[in-house]
Amino acid sequence: MAARTVLRNEWRLLMADRALRIVLGLFAVLLLYALANGVVWLRFQERIVETVQTGNAERASAIEQELAAIANGAEPASRFSDPRDPYVLGGGRGTHTAVLTPGPLTALAVGQSDLLPYYYDVNIYTNESSFQQNGEVENPLNLMVGRFDLAFVVIYLLPLLVLALGYNVLSEEREQGTLALTLSQPVSARGVVVAKLAFRALLVVGMVLAASLLGTLVTGGFGSPGRVLLWCAAVVIYALFWFVLAAWVNSLRRSSAWNATVLVGAWLVLVVVLPATINIASGLLHPLPSRVQMVSAQREASNDAVNRRSELLARYLEDHPEMAEGVVADVTFSGALAWAATDAVNSRLEEVTGEHDARRAEQIALVRRYRFLSPALLAQEVLVDAAGTGDARYASFQSQVRAFAERWRGFFVPAILAGEQMDASVLPDLPRFSLADEEGADVARRAAVPLAVLGGLLVLVSAGAGVGLGRVRGAD
Amino acid sequence: MHTAESRAGHAPLLEARGLSKDYGDTRALDSLDLAIAPGDVYCLLGPNGAGKTTTINLFLGFVAPSGGQALVSGLDVSTHDRETKQQLAYIPEQVMLYRNLSGLENLEYFAALGGRGSLGRGRLADILVEAGLEPDAVDRRVSDYSKGMRQKVGIAIAMAKEAAVLLLDEPTSGLDPKASNEFSALVERLRERGVAVLMATHDLFRAKDTGTRVGIMRYGRLVTELSTDEIGHADLERIYLEHMHD
Repeated sequence: MAARTVLRNEWRLLMADRALRIVLGLFAVLLLYALANGVVWLRFQERIVETVQTGNAERASAIEQELAAIANGAEPASRFSDPRDPYVLGGGRGTHTAVLTPGPLTALAVGQSDLLPYYYDVNIYTNESSFQQNGEVENPLNLMVGRFDLAFVVIYLLPLLVLALGYNVLSEEREQGTLALTLSQPVSARGVVVAKLAFRALLVVGMVLAASLLGTLVTGGFGSPGRVLLWCAAVVIYALFWFVLAAWVNSLRRSSAWNATVLVGAWLVLVVVLPATINIASGLLHPLPSRVQMVSAQREASNDAVNRRSELLARYLEDHPEMAEGVVADVTFSGALAWAATDAVNSRLEEVTGEHDARRAEQIALVRRYRFLSPALLAQEVLVDAAGTGDARYASFQSQVRAFAERWRGFFVPAILAGEQMDASVLPDLPRFSLADEEGADVARRAAVPLAVLGGLLVLVSAGAGVGLGRVRGAD
Repeated sequence: MHTAESRAGHAPLLEARGLSKDYGDTRALDSLDLAIAPGDVYCLLGPNGAGKTTTINLFLGFVAPSGGQALVSGLDVSTHDRETKQQLAYIPEQVMLYRNLSGLENLEYFAALGGRGSLGRGRLADILVEAGLEPDAVDRRVSDYSKGMRQKVGIAIAMAKEAAVLLLDEPTSGLDPKASNEFSALVERLRERGVAVLMATHDLFRAKDTGTRVGIMRYGRLVTELSTDEIGHADLERIYLEHMHD
């Protein structure tokens, strides 16, 4: 009864407060703008994926038609792009592009999807440097600060709105003198504050969830209900954390100005300073090797390989004796020599990228170790993972592409070394990339720890607020 | 001591038994014994810091006693916070309401908190008018109200709640004589309905006029207790000043 009464009164107060209505309206506009941004990015990605898949089909069709024509006696269009040559069929002309379809909730959280490549051209030249490049030209400012998407609004702006709505939930009652009259009724300060904050939480969380579900509906994300549920859980727990933090600060019975200062300070530390510090520390403690170093290594290795082709071929065959039988190495500029040079370049690059990957792994490990210090980091991890735009999904995609590139080479290199020619009969057997996307259970397993820690923080701060509010009486 | 039970023939609705309150080394209230029966208006007189507001805050449960008991209808406030507050209405020196809401909306809110949410808007509006608010002010925002009008809303809250006990903390302070008289008339009407009233005040005239009994406090102690039937205005002033100059 008391809760319903307070909720009704809060609604009236909201309706009577023009400034509050403007703030909420502005937040609604920001939510819609962020959602629109996410949808635009998703549509862009979908167009790219469609283009890439069309390119795959068109290349395969052109090769099939030319091989059929050659089989019927026609000459190849060019001897440098003869599809019977395994160097051509497995090389640039026959390239198969492996694609990661956008995460189911990309429109809600762009996450890493604008930073990490979501398609790779795979052919016999694919090497480690291929995985270090993003095919898209992107505004570096966007990459640096992240896109203005729903996840950004939730992580950065939602706490500010919560604090604006909750910093004086009790102190204002005391300062305007209504607290004594309220607490002379058979209600507790705890009950009143919980009801007041519950109203605000319903309003704010309701708006964010409505925007999230609208985005999901528009982009067909309901195909992954587990991810939607995870997203909603993270939003609710994160928002409630800030509400109970406001309640806890209010329970300390200080002025509204003091509450506002402390809460904004908490936001600054937990949302801005700590994540930035952890990020900077990971970069300082485990710096990535420069890309210039990688490019230089690639050039040096290429030049060296060109100069020492025969020697490299002999070494390659020593390393791969199973391929030595039938190798055609007596023709100048033959495919076998060229392949040996390519392989040498790849080996050199693996050394450089191996170092890069190791440092990157150390950086991620450091961030993961200290992410528990910041509710913002924990919430962000769950949100982008739920959206399918987190590190893990991209790492899995990259690892599958590596395996696919290995299968591709395994298909063509023996033919290159043997100097064989191919025909249309091999086309059905060509390796095809098929993404084994992560299961909902994998995502839930990964999200369990950050979500549990976030929930633990919520319980801890709630307990502090509960105890503090239990001490509030009318004559503070 | 002149007990409420002997005066009105009823068990006291408000009772203090050896009630004390310390703030650090300072004793704000020292072993107060007090009993107020239905239909009794007990006025606490005394200078600032005498312990009047502390007494009211103890009955409201706003502060915890250092010793003794504050009882409402025989229930200890310390252990029956909710039950005792259901019977209490409180009007502070300044009745502060939600400025952006109307008097009626404020009354709806506080009446509902007090457990009278079933009263319709029409009945609540009638109560506001009965408490002395002009009918056209009922739906106006409280930010436009004078102090006297806000005090009337405070009385209306008590009336809507049908509280058995009314605690008033210098309710007429700052009111003009007309508003003070109107306020006293309202308190008198509640008294006639059997409400027990405890009023802290500096206004000797109002205490004599409105109260049935007067208690004079100094340094946290109740130094004397008088029946207003037995003394005149001048007597009360003389007795009060005598105690203040000891």
